[in-house]
Amino acid sequence: MNNYPPTHNKQQNYRFLSLLNNLAILAWGLLLLKYAITGQYKILIHPNYFYLMLATSILLLVLGVFKTKQLLQVAPQPTEQHLNIFPPGVGSSLLLLAAIAGLLIPPTVLASQTALQRGVSETLPATSYEPQAFTTQTKPEERSLIDWIRTLNAYPEPEAYAGQPAEITGFVIKLPELPDNYLLLSRFILTCCAVDAYPVYVPVELPPDGQSYPIDSWLKITGTMTAQTLSIRDRTDTPQEQRRLVLQAETITKIATPKDPYSYR
Amino acid sequence: MSQLHNAFTLFLSLLVEAIPFLLLGVLLSSSLLLLVDETKLIERLPANPILGAIFGSCIGFLFPVCECGNVPVARRLLLKGVSPTVAIAFLLAAPTINPVVIWSTWVAFNGQPQIVVLRIIFSLAIAIIVGCLFGLAGDVNDLLQPKLVRRWQFLNAKNQQSAKVAVSPLLLSGTYLLGQDNLQAFDTTLTPQKPLAQTKEKVLDSKVFKSAKWQQFLNNVSQELQELGGMLIVGSAIAACFQVFVPREVIFSLGQDNITSILAMMLLAAVVSICSTVDSFFALSFVSSFTSGSILAFLVFGPTIDIKAIGLMLSIFKPKIIIYLMLIISQLVFLMTFIYSYFF
Repeated sequence: MNNYPPTHNKQQNYRFLSLLNNLAILAWGLLLLKYAITGQYKILIHPNYFYLMLATSILLLVLGVFKTKQLLQVAPQPTEQHLNIFPPGVGSSLLLLAAIAGLLIPPTVLASQTALQRGVSETLPATSYEPQAFTTQTKPEERSLIDWIRTLNAYPEPEAYAGQPAEITGFVIKLPELPDNYLLLSRFILTCCAVDAYPVYVPVELPPDGQSYPIDSWLKITGTMTAQTLSIRDRTDTPQEQRRLVLQAETITKIATPKDPYSYR
Repeated sequence: MSQLHNAFTLFLSLLVEAIPFLLLGVLLSSSLLLLVDETKLIERLPANPILGAIFGSCIGFLFPVCECGNVPVARRLLLKGVSPTVAIAFLLAAPTINPVVIWSTWVAFNGQPQIVVLRIIFSLAIAIIVGCLFGLAGDVNDLLQPKLVRRWQFLNAKNQQSAKVAVSPLLLSGTYLLGQDNLQAFDTTLTPQKPLAQTKEKVLDSKVFKSAKWQQFLNNVSQELQELGGMLIVGSAIAACFQVFVPREVIFSLGQDNITSILAMMLLAAVVSICSTVDSFFALSFVSSFTSGSILAFLVFGPTIDIKAIGLMLSIFKPKIIIYLMLIISQLVFLMTFIYSYFF
């Protein structure tokens, strides 16, 4: 084993590249497994894809372990001429670096900055599998913010809900066009992954105690629904003055960012 | 700083969403390497370029892969000696013309079935047209990445070698004419134990053969995974940065009338680089503010050309060819969706 042929260096190099490749595969398997176990996948992708992700994680781990075991047992032989866009090892290094960064830095929950960038809205994107008769199903005070948006979408007449009690949670967005005693309570809806997170909001009229709430803080607000004429920008950032469903806040509680901050479709 | 963190999160989100599909594509492509006998596949291919293009577009139905998965399969088809017409038709049609994507588009748009149907028709038409166009180019080597050509030639040479070995016993017509009895007598006189040894060798051979195939499959999976995974990382990083650092207002401000909304959605499709299996859900978020012509443009254009796919396609084509592809496809998509939004 000691007297290698002249290709010793080449083989050593190939061994290193294979090892790097296996590490990259293992690291991605681990990262996906970490997201599955910690539940962090919920802020990255729609939970529908959970089992797909888990299966991929297991497949990658099995592949990585198997290939590494093989590498340690048998001397690898670079048999085929490899095609690469990158110089050898760059693809594996990129994969490995991304996975390590993912393991070290937890994903963040999207907040008002992203919401404003994407264009806030109080309507749902057009969709066909929304339940039609949502309104009669739940009591007003049990509706979540998203439920309210759905209800409003099913029957877009703010006056119809005036006087109903409500308790909703979300994060704070402030807009320059709103009076000081108003804010938007918002949440994101995910259809497939964080890339398409769609922000929806309910405008809130604050009680006259003059307390202010920082942007992006999470609040639980109870109060009564009213219909008011407010000017708020639409998704193309042109202010629209119209009758809107506005929550008149009575009690406001600051809460921690929830574990599952998004709503899914 | 928080913007950077957002970009990183979107980057991870794209990757976590795309890697399962990438793995699926790589696994399918690697099994194609082992299971599909290239000579038989080429024999079955229609000689007519138009039929070939139609055939190529429909191969996608057998392999439910999105645009991160179709590139390795298309590359494998090319390496197996399939004509560029078929391979390009496959490359362009497979992300859309496959059961998973049609199903997800149907779920998202079953209120507007014309979107689903037109997405299929437009994608098929574009795949066939572009496939035929590239079929006119005489030399395959003019289209492909030089490194791919080298690998192709390498594999071809190897195939010819093995073909020679496989053919040579048949060429020894003498033994055939001698007849079985004679041969056996000849054999037994010289080495009486040989038949036994031969069967043993055969068993051993098939075992070695199987493990070699298995080995080849595994090597190919991990090789393509790191190669295409690296490209996916670069593409997702660019897409995530675009999404965070380019204000959407810039793209949206274009989206008012028929022409600019189509162009804006095509640009968005190229920038966002979302997998075709899930892009119809993403497109849903724009249905309220954009014309259905532009939504269609997003759904047809996105799976064929986007930043991520361009990165992957660089592993097949010369950069010049990718620019041609982009120009031709974007013009076709624009024309088709504009006609749609003009007449309907």
